[in-house]
Amino acid sequence: MAKKAITIEHVWKNYRLRHQFEGPSSSMKELLNAPFNFIQEKVTKKHNQPQTNNIFWAIKDVSLEINHGESVGIIGRNGAGKSTLLKILSRITRPSKGRVLLHEKVNSLLEIGTGFNADLSGRDNVYLNGSFLGMKKTEIDQNFDQIVDFSGIEKFIDTPVKYYSSGMYVRLAFSVAVHLIPETLLLDEVLAVGDAEFKEKSNKKMMELLSSGATIILVSHSEEAIKEICKRTIWLEQGELMMDGISDEVVREYNQFIKIGHA
Amino acid sequence: MVNLKKNEYPIEITPAKNIELPNFRELWDYRDLVVFLVKRELKSRFQQTLIGVFWIALQPIIQMLIFYVILGILIRVPTEDIPYPIFFLSGFVVWQLFSQIVNSSGFSLVANIGVISKTYFPRLALPIATTISSLVDFVVSMVLLFIVMIPNGYSLSLRLLLLPILLLITMAFSSGIGLLFGALMVTFRDMKNLLGFILMIWMYVTPIIYPISLVPENYQIILRLNPLTSLVEIYRWMFLGTGTIPPVFQLFLSALVAILLWLLGAIAFKNMENKIADVM
Repeated sequence: MAKKAITIEHVWKNYRLRHQFEGPSSSMKELLNAPFNFIQEKVTKKHNQPQTNNIFWAIKDVSLEINHGESVGIIGRNGAGKSTLLKILSRITRPSKGRVLLHEKVNSLLEIGTGFNADLSGRDNVYLNGSFLGMKKTEIDQNFDQIVDFSGIEKFIDTPVKYYSSGMYVRLAFSVAVHLIPETLLLDEVLAVGDAEFKEKSNKKMMELLSSGATIILVSHSEEAIKEICKRTIWLEQGELMMDGISDEVVREYNQFIKIGHA
Repeated sequence: MVNLKKNEYPIEITPAKNIELPNFRELWDYRDLVVFLVKRELKSRFQQTLIGVFWIALQPIIQMLIFYVILGILIRVPTEDIPYPIFFLSGFVVWQLFSQIVNSSGFSLVANIGVISKTYFPRLALPIATTISSLVDFVVSMVLLFIVMIPNGYSLSLRLLLLPILLLITMAFSSGIGLLFGALMVTFRDMKNLLGFILMIWMYVTPIIYPISLVPENYQIILRLNPLTSLVEIYRWMFLGTGTIPPVFQLFLSALVAILLWLLGAIAFKNMENKIADVM
């Protein structure tokens, strides 16, 4: 049996919808109003109705098994729950029901340059960003030269990143991320940034990671990127798992669904 | 190849429980992050300004001058024969440390929402880092105090050996309060605006700009209920030798209270960090 990377068991996730007119201080107002509402309810004999219309289920009963070394793409329309699922797997938010088991080290790259500070030099940012992503100082030390090499901005490594062009910034940030050498890498559309050359470079790096045995989970709107990198694709629709299979087939079905839906 | 740190696998991700304890072992694993966060704080504050230390010193200097002119010269608040600037600074160093830690820890979750919503790390690293970096301002203010003390005939006494213990107590206490505010701020956004007022009032009910003896005895209880009052008095005793020697038992008790408060704050903070990615 193949070694497991991630097990997702009946995961649900809900969000409470906040209405704009409530304003930013709704929580405080609710707290202050709570006793009055309580009295009002008692007087009018209105019982506390569960406000189900305020609850939005972003993920509904999703179960998946992802094996070590697999490359899995996640597609779906906006609001299908792709990013929410990725956030649960990255431990940024917790599921409402169900559970997830991470069988190996998981690194997530939901954004390029997490924690970059404009006033700090490229060097300082490599260390800061790396430690945000869970690396130890000694690990960054060991990889520092490679990171700088890959980014191709040796000359500016001690310049504050606010003087960087956006291309330099992205290259450095991406370089830190791919040198994590994770067992499982979660990616959210980060490949969409940068120019064609950079995209090619990052795709190449993904393939390298895959051939070295890493597991990759990629959320993307780009069907090409998914077809190129991922053998297996998962299609989410309104928080539910619609299809799970070989990338070409799932993407074809998905496209047909979109066409019918918009016809 | 990076040698990734050992963790207990599989890691189980479950719905948030009502009360969860912070994972201190994991926090320890992320100690390098704390170090880099402290560096970030200090570097981004001072790298751009060549006279960085001067800016830190300006805060206590300006405050001291304002209160010296108004309370020391104009109103002539009696400060138990201690020159007013020395009296003020010996209390202000404690207040500055406290308020800075409370304020920065209080804002640590909301100010770092960008990284919090994009990557996983023990969120407690953020307020711990700001607490540590507040020490820089403390040291600068304390050196300023010494500079004013020595020409006035005060000397640095052996009592200063107590400083490390007192600092730990002060930091744990302040950080505990800051963590509680930090947790509150996630759901009660009004806390952002309220915290400044709370700290302002708190300063005036602490004997920093006036001695507690100035307060009518009936009302001194209000100041006594404020845990910062005894801390300020212990620091004044340490710096200047005023008042009575604090009994060892009292130090022990404050240490215990500070640690318990910090743990309480850390638990509140931990349980709010489970929600923060959803409410912000």
